Amino acid sequence: MQRWLLLWPLFALALAAPVELKLNLRVGGQPLQFGQTYQTPQKQRYQIDLLKFYLSEVALVRPDGSEVRVPGLVLAEFKPGGPTQGVTLMRFEAPPGTYRGIRFNVGVPRELNHLDAATQSPPLGVNSGMYWAWNPGYIFFKLEGRAFLEPERRWVIHMGTDAFRIPVRLQDLQTPRLVLNLPGRGGSILLNLDVGAAFLPGPGGAFLDWRQEELRQLHGLSPQTRAFMGLVYQNLIQAFSLASPPLQSR
Amino acid sequence: MNARWTYFLLLLGLPGLLWLATLRVEGEGALSMPMVRLPLEPPDNPQTPAKVALGRRLFYDTRLSADGTVACASCHKPAFAFSDGGQRFSRGVGGQEGQRNAPSLTNVGHRRALFWEGRSPRLELQAVGPLTAHNEMAMTPEALAQRLEAIPSYAQAFREVFGEPPSLRMVTFALAAFQRTLLSYNSPFDRFQAGDLKALSPAAQRGMELFFSERGDCFHCHTGPEFTDDTPHNTALYTVYPDIGLARATGRDEDVGKFKTPTLRNVALTAPYMHDGSIPTLREVVMHYNRGGQPNLNADVLIRPLGLSEQEIDDLVAFLESLTDRSFTANPNLLPPAEP
Ligand code: HEC
Ligand code: HEC
Repeated sequence: MQRWLLLWPLFALALAAPVELKLNLRVGGQPLQFGQTYQTPQKQRYQIDLLKFYLSEVALVRPDGSEVRVPGLVLAEFKPGGPTQGVTLMRFEAPPGTYRGIRFNVGVPRELNHLDAATQSPPLGVNSGMYWAWNPGYIFFKLEGRAFLEPERRWVIHMGTDAFRIPVRLQDLQTPRLVLNLPGRGGSILLNLDVGAAFLPGPGGAFLDWRQEELRQLHGLSPQTRAFMGLVYQNLIQAFSLASPPLQSR
Repeated sequence: MNARWTYFLLLLGLPGLLWLATLRVEGEGALSMPMVRLPLEPPDNPQTPAKVALGRRLFYDTRLSADGTVACASCHKPAFAFSDGGQRFSRGVGGQEGQRNAPSLTNVGHRRALFWEGRSPRLELQAVGPLTAHNEMAMTPEALAQRLEAIPSYAQAFREVFGEPPSLRMVTFALAAFQRTLLSYNSPFDRFQAGDLKALSPAAQRGMELFFSERGDCFHCHTGPEFTDDTPHNTALYTVYPDIGLARATGRDEDVGKFKTPTLRNVALTAPYMHDGSIPTLREVVMHYNRGGQPNLNADVLIRPLGLSEQEIDDLVAFLESLTDRSFTANPNLLPPAEP
């Protein structure tokens, strides 16, 4: 028994495969390009200038529904001049084997979100540019751009507060379609985020109409704009997907 | 008194205090000095003279804004007790107008809740707001750090004070240290409290009685030596509030129209009044309270018709005017430093 215990670390080492979690930004079916003009379903033309979000509480989901949790919190940032395809968000280790998906949250875990931001270290803290001075807590998801109206207008979506942590579940336990086979030598899991999906209309055709000033500054929980924040939130839950193939071995 | 503060006052504050003392000798020649209340220093950001000096430079420096036109002091002007001198709404970069009235920073180191809805817990975090807001100073953490690093005197000062290069975080720490020195306790009211019974006019004394009585009821919210409970209330300013106040942050209907009680120290210098600067004079503010405001479901129970006579309204105004501390607005240690 004693001897087995001594060997355990070696087993553990052999059992951990390196994984990279990578992201492609898309608009509809196309890779996102900064500087390119896109159109919402309501034919408002826009450009993306910044995308920044926290990713946390990542877990790989086993076929029996149990999870391999991955510790850590990362801040992803995309802006003109930087890459948008195959960008590594996070590196971690997980036991090789078969998985049926991945889940994560876009946001800062509740227990970290309300500590004193003046003393927290990166990627938290005020130097992140994600601290929300008017509200204790962080902006979880920041999307900024311009709308080509007459005249051109800047718009921002700053989503945060515990009510707007985005739970993303990319798993499929029922059908055998989704299988991630993580080999012992490790691999990359590739996600897509369709940024354009943020602007899809809601029930009854309600949409984020940038001609309205208050909808160009979407922050926090304000009852005046909350319905629209809720709409973008619902859209974003659906905006992540696994690329195909979802896993590339090393 | 904490030893560090003593040291700090000795080093930096002494000229100011001496100067204050001469003012008082020229003035009524009172018996005792009003007591200065020192704010608590956060353990992670102790006051030092060098840090305060750095914060003071930063406070007055327009280079902290994206287009180099706006400083903290553009909207918080010393002559107006660090409020925005008669402006209903202040202008940030590119002349963009904000939506709220810039509050006075009198004794701001004592506020336990910052901003009009009182949702920011400390000065170090509050300053992130104006520095990064698109219609105030519009900086990003990266741009701010680069800008200051390129100015040799700042690059050096940050290393001396914090042992690290300039960053948004260290800028807010230095600004907080300076703001904790914005102390004002030398109004006629303070001198009256300290024993100079001639410091207040009879009208101001009658107004004071009213203010602290159950009839005027002002002191329930404008509490204690700072004249604020640091808590948001709805004062029935409107039936439908264009700016919904606390609800903007909480999303709750019952928080619509709630704003933090402002301090009343130096209030005669900070017109126009209320979160949106919608009331131009103190007399009109008192008349608003006297009417009991507008019908509003969220209104605080204390807001109700008060039945004050014209004379009593004037008395209350005289009392509010007695909260003005001229030695504060002219304190040389708080004005722009010699080399920016
Ligand atoms: C463009 C004008 C403007 C500029 C520039 C500006 N402020 Fe303000 N300040 C305001 C307004 C308006 C408010 C109230 C905002 C709110 O509550 O939503 C405010 C609120 C504050 C408060 C909260 C006071 C209280 O009692 O709640 C502090 C502290 C403060 N500002 C400090 C600063 C500092 C430090 C800077 C520089 C980094 C700065 N301000 C720059 C306009 C400005
Ligand atoms: C229910 C709490 C409450 C009571 C009672 C109250 N106040 Fe206020 N006071 C406030 C709040 C909150 C504000 C800010 C309201 C806003 O901006 O919408 C305020 C604002 C003011 C202002 C404007 C200050 C500024 O800088 O804009 C003055 C002056 C004032 N009150 C004086 C009084 C007087 C005099 C009384 C008694 C007659 C009184 N208050 C009673 C809570 C109260």
